[in-house]
Amino acid sequence: MIKKSFFERIKPLLYLLPFIASVTLFTLYPIVNVIRMSFLEGYKYLSGAYTGVGLGNYQKVINDPFFRQALSNTFRYVLLVVPISTALAIVIATMLNQKIKFQSFFQTAYFLPMVTSSLAVGLAWRFMFNDKVGILNYVLNIFGIQGPSWLTTPAGNFIAVVVFGIWAILPNTIILLLSGLQNIDPLYYTAAKVDGAKTLRIFFRITVPLLAPTIMLVIIINTISTFKMYHELFPLFNGPGIAYNLFTVVYYIYYEFRVMSPPKYGYAAAAAVMLLITVFIFTMLQRAVQAWSRKERGEDVKKVKRHRDQNK
Amino acid sequence: MRIRLENIVKRFDDNTAVNDFSAVIESGELVTLLGPSGCGKSTMLNMLSGILYPTEGKIYFDDDDVTFMSSEKRGIGLVFQNYALYPHMTVLENICFPLEIKKVPKAERIERAKKMAELVHVEGMLNRKPGQLSGGQQQRVAIARALVKEPRLLLLDEPLSNLDARLRIEMREEIRRIQLETGVTTIFVTHDQEEAMSISDHIILMKLGVLQQYDKPQALYDQPANCFVADFLGNPPINKVAGVVQDGKVLLGEDKIDSGIKVDVADGTRVWLSFRAESVILDNSSSLRAKVIMTSVMGKEVITSFDLAGKEVRGYMDANAELQRDQEIGIRFKNSGVFVFDYESGERYL
Ligand SMILES: Nc1ncnc2c1ncn2[C@@H]1O[C@H](COP(=O)(O)OP(=O)(O)O)[C@@H](O)[C@H]1O
Ligand SMILES: [Mg+2]
Repeated sequence: MIKKSFFERIKPLLYLLPFIASVTLFTLYPIVNVIRMSFLEGYKYLSGAYTGVGLGNYQKVINDPFFRQALSNTFRYVLLVVPISTALAIVIATMLNQKIKFQSFFQTAYFLPMVTSSLAVGLAWRFMFNDKVGILNYVLNIFGIQGPSWLTTPAGNFIAVVVFGIWAILPNTIILLLSGLQNIDPLYYTAAKVDGAKTLRIFFRITVPLLAPTIMLVIIINTISTFKMYHELFPLFNGPGIAYNLFTVVYYIYYEFRVMSPPKYGYAAAAAVMLLITVFIFTMLQRAVQAWSRKERGEDVKKVKRHRDQNK
Repeated sequence: MRIRLENIVKRFDDNTAVNDFSAVIESGELVTLLGPSGCGKSTMLNMLSGILYPTEGKIYFDDDDVTFMSSEKRGIGLVFQNYALYPHMTVLENICFPLEIKKVPKAERIERAKKMAELVHVEGMLNRKPGQLSGGQQQRVAIARALVKEPRLLLLDEPLSNLDARLRIEMREEIRRIQLETGVTTIFVTHDQEEAMSISDHIILMKLGVLQQYDKPQALYDQPANCFVADFLGNPPINKVAGVVQDGKVLLGEDKIDSGIKVDVADGTRVWLSFRAESVILDNSSSLRAKVIMTSVMGKEVITSFDLAGKEVRGYMDANAELQRDQEIGIRFKNSGVFVFDYESGERYL
């Protein structure tokens, strides 16, 4: 082998430098800094002074009623938004996967949230949620249903943010499920139909099981993203609900860091680290599921490919 | 169950996939739909299964008009080229599924499925998923799934194409065995003439959507209805030499060599003289001369290729003759396996 000069050997490193530098500066450094901050008690951001080192911040945060409320809100939000949006998305994706009329209309309608600014859309929803002039309660009224006071009562606030959250998360979910559906060989449906299976049986005995890896993936991804919910609160209520009742974990971090005076950097950091660990666990779970589904699907890919080659 | 097809036409836009197709398939037979790729075999099969409906014509199962009856009411079992076993279900669940749809009680379901599994010899792998089976085993399971509801008609679309050569031979014998054991009327689609010849009671040979000949395998080989049929069947392929008719004699090639074959058509008609490799005899006293190109051993036979009127043809010659390259020989034809077809239309004259 020809001996490379020193410069030749470090050349790849030079090409990578901008990337390594930016990741270090904007991703790694902040994470490390937040972890450090979470163990420093009475930390002052500007002077860098602190009064002690330990788990004090974690203790305070865990015992903080606002954080507990934030946790409970976040869990309730995740537990409502994820299953409902997943179920809705499965139904919608199955419909979109069929050759239905007005397909392009539905596609546009369902994918609208993806291409619009969430802030602008949030404001639009704020008008729709309006108790007096909002279209939602108007429509509910037509069906004889007394809609909740979405924006003016604490309970209504929660429902509003759940509805908005489901709507916002649908497009990505549908796209993922659609791609999963398109991986299912239509021959399975033909085989089942020839044997006399009806739509519902085909859906539950064939479509859903074959879609299971994608469904699991979607649930995990959506759990992670809904766990981090907070920016939806601003366009709807300018804050965590009308009665400060809609604290979420991320909003709590923002609040301790930005709104509290003086700011409790240590609390925010401790809460952030706990969130980081939670999300990390789910990310690992997602990787495991992806590896598993790739293995499951590997079989099919080969079979379909062989089938195609035969038909050439 | 007896199947009657009356003047079936299937058009896709302006492409006619099946044209004026009429045939009767007798109960309990295994009939093969044979033909080159794209000749309309799958289209015909899909009309029998109810996946497609004909543009014109009628389909009768016994005396019932089923032309536009939906698939599930026809009582058919379907086997696909790539098996289409449900990958998330075990072998047992796959075989049970058609009965589950029919709401057969669970205990009976499992009992019948197990019997089917025994018939197709997969009883030892009931709890495996399709992904854990070989191609041949998957096809066995697919056949069991198709047969478990005791269909009146079993339809198989190129069921062996995804298997390697050795398994293909094993599985075609298996399909024949299973068919004979159950006595189910069966229609089998393939583009492989050897496969068709080996398992069928009757063969329907198709070309461009049109039925060419419907006959017993041996009859198709011995008495082809036209040039296409003769060309399609047989290995090695039938020999073809172009010629012209004069005074009732077939004269071969540019030099108008007398083949010694007589045919009753008008002078000047251009024809093909087609003959099977086993229908040519070495006879040095014959006035029909040819030149040896090479000999090769095929199994226990010796096949000689030689130049006849400028065309390379092949024949099973006397193995003891020890023919040399460029040696001049005399040949004559047997009474069977020699045909004369019209050069253009393929119509058979002899
Ligand atoms: N759904 C369809 N739409 C249009 N043309 C089709 C369709 N199915 C088959 N064809 C055409 O009909 C002809 C016969 O096809 P097919 O029955 O699949 O042939 P085979 O099974 O003998 O290979 C082909 O020319 C094919 O392109
Ligand atoms: Mg086909």
